[in-house]
Amino acid sequence: MSDANSTPSSLVQSHDEVLVFPKGGNPSLTSNKWQVWNGSQDEGGLPALDLVSHGVLVPLVWWIEHHHEMDVIAKAKNGQIGVWFAADDDILKHAELIEAGKQYWPLVAAYFPLFRDGRSFSTAALLRERLGWTKEIRMIGDVLIDQLLQGARVGFDSFALRNDQDLGVALKQFDLYSVTTQNSWRDKRTLLDQTQ
Amino acid sequence: MYKYDNIDKTLVDQRVAQFRDQVTRRLNGTLTEEAFRPLRLQNGLYHQRHAYMLRVAIPYGLFNSKQLRTLANISEKYDRGYGHFTTRQNIQYNWVTLEDTPDILADLAKVEMHAIQTSGNCIRNITSDAFAGVAADEYVDTRPICELLRQWSTLHPEFAHLPRKFKFAVNGAKEDRTVMLCHDVGIELKKNVVGELTANIYAGGGMGRTPILGSLIKTELPWQLLPSYLTALLRVYNRFGRRDNLYKARIKILVKALGPEEFSRQVEGEWLHLQNSDDNFTQVEWDRVAKHFTKPPYKTLPMLTTEHILENVSEAEATAFTRWLERNVKPHQVPGYASVILSLKPHGTVAPGDATTAQMNAIADLADKFSFGELRSTHEQNLVLADVEQAELYELWQQAKKQNVALPNVGLLTDIIACPGGDFCSLANAKSLPIAKAIQERFDDLDYLFDLGDISLNISGCINSCGHHHVGNIGVLGVDKDGEEWYQITLGGEQGNDTSIGKVIGPSFYADEIPDVITNVINTYVNHRSEDESFIQAYRRLGVAPFKEAAYQNAKKKEKADAKSAGESV
Ligand code: HEM
Ligand code: SF4
Repeated sequence: MSDANSTPSSLVQSHDEVLVFPKGGNPSLTSNKWQVWNGSQDEGGLPALDLVSHGVLVPLVWWIEHHHEMDVIAKAKNGQIGVWFAADDDILKHAELIEAGKQYWPLVAAYFPLFRDGRSFSTAALLRERLGWTKEIRMIGDVLIDQLLQGARVGFDSFALRNDQDLGVALKQFDLYSVTTQNSWRDKRTLLDQTQ
Repeated sequence: MYKYDNIDKTLVDQRVAQFRDQVTRRLNGTLTEEAFRPLRLQNGLYHQRHAYMLRVAIPYGLFNSKQLRTLANISEKYDRGYGHFTTRQNIQYNWVTLEDTPDILADLAKVEMHAIQTSGNCIRNITSDAFAGVAADEYVDTRPICELLRQWSTLHPEFAHLPRKFKFAVNGAKEDRTVMLCHDVGIELKKNVVGELTANIYAGGGMGRTPILGSLIKTELPWQLLPSYLTALLRVYNRFGRRDNLYKARIKILVKALGPEEFSRQVEGEWLHLQNSDDNFTQVEWDRVAKHFTKPPYKTLPMLTTEHILENVSEAEATAFTRWLERNVKPHQVPGYASVILSLKPHGTVAPGDATTAQMNAIADLADKFSFGELRSTHEQNLVLADVEQAELYELWQQAKKQNVALPNVGLLTDIIACPGGDFCSLANAKSLPIAKAIQERFDDLDYLFDLGDISLNISGCINSCGHHHVGNIGVLGVDKDGEEWYQITLGGEQGNDTSIGKVIGPSFYADEIPDVITNVINTYVNHRSEDESFIQAYRRLGVAPFKEAAYQNAKKKEKADAKSAGESV
């Protein structure tokens, strides 16, 4: 069901550092412990995890196919596997699987094939609002500075920026606005906040 | 009129700062044009044929004299001495520079205006009936809901990068003056049997290359639930709208592919999980906003008859003034008042909807003097003074004449809607403005225009349909064939309660044939009409055949046109 447009065989290169912005906390940079794997050359199975600093984010379609395998279960139990959603993955169709994944995956990610493709904004919103995902959600793919604010408000709390983006400028994106006129994952619209 | 509170003011100021930073990054090269493009579009900044064009929002068409003076100042300071009022209640400047744009936005912010989401693939400026709050045929004053929706949609994070642009229109009157069914979402506000404010939702309308009328997908939605319902609707579109093909990305294609029932079912499914959320509007919000839309301090006045209004008018002026009363003055809810349309289509005009700096300043004075300092912009690219005392109509008319905005052609053949076309727009296949001018020159006899009565003629320079040619009784569309400019004619379109899409009559014409073609079509109407029958009524009765025949009767280049359009799908 994935088209070439949403799950490219070569993924967008991101910075070595990720920007993390926990809800209620401050944005900061940290080293990236997760490799995003596109699952396309899976004859050999998962990438050798000892070569990866911590864990690997696998595509949802790969997880669906392989999550009963012993070594996959073992690594998942070890907290070394997370899942990423392609822009056209209908996550609501896999609600049960995601529910089950809550016990394994330290984080999930949603992929932006192109910065101006906003499908994954809705994915994050659904993960938070509907599927009750409380751990980290990472924005991956063609992630540019000027989409961070929207990402932060729909439910993302970590951001793997495209490797040509200026991390210093990126860090300053989140305090551009002190007011909002609609609710988001982070805050209620300012008016509602004031009247409560 | 709505007055910004601290939240609105802070937000718009911070938006200016954000955009200023984005422009700085663009200018110093750290932001690529590709990455900047959607950012500038979400701030109404286009790149046109010759220069940047800035589109400024006039939310639901309502503004005041102070704002109009600022718009006039901007046209003088940063542009070439005019502004262009559009069909979706925005104003455009055609000659701004990228460097100046942040300063323009800062000037706008000082008078509570902005350019947020006037373009781009996001929720666009919400349009409404230009006569909201005053129209005699109104069920509901749509302005408080429009303002609440403006706030809800402003910088909405989830819907900042939709598959395509997204346009709302809100109507609350018996007569639809918003072309509601040609919007991605049309919101029809009504009071239900127990007097509660509810909305009917139409989805999937739009023009462009595949014109489709919206379908009714929800009835009697309580007003408070609009944000959760619209979130559900937009979420379905954001997730499942097509992104592989620009021409198939509008919601109309999704609604058509699924069918309105299935689309509606999916929205309901999503909405189930949202409808009780605190996204919904509260009474507190309504009260905060609605207090700004109370009635101005109307006097208690007698309702005047036309005879009364004409009492002190000299005989020499009586005919002209009466015409203006008939065409440009509309009934009002309050006795003794009327709404006046100032025509931005004087014959010989440069472009329909243009107003010069001097005109804007003078119209601001008229608003102060005659209409509580408020104005409206209309879908037909005219301006409205909504609250004029009937007893002052004559004086207003005399002053409006001096500004060349009193031509009594509202709703007539020369009240043309036209896009900027090839003179400005880089997407154009052909020019629109010279066609509009040629038609106005051909039909500049007011007696004749009056006799013809209501006819709409709309011109677009390409299939994107900015000039709404699909819903003109007569539509003119610029098409390109082998690098030459041609024009295709549609007939039978209509806006209003019987909104319909016009039909292409056949092969296209050269620019210089258009005035003759229009003349022939009009003559057919004149020859066949029965008493009191409007053009569109006659067209519906007679069908396309006689009009088509007349249009081609002396088409000297018809054969060539036929040859050229062979194989071209219309
Ligand atoms: C030069 C500046 C302009 C550019 C580049 C431009 C671009 C476009 C494009 C690309 C579309 C097609 C959208 C689609 O089919 O999805 C469109 C439609 C439209 N534009 Fe423009 N436009 C311009 C000026 C205007 C002006 C001056 C007006 C008003 C007079 C206007 C009002 C509209 C409207 C009402 C539509 C039709 C919308 C629909 O299908 O819902 N535009 N424009
Ligand atoms: S209809 Fe075409 S030519 Fe006219 S303004 Fe729109 S995009 Fe430009």
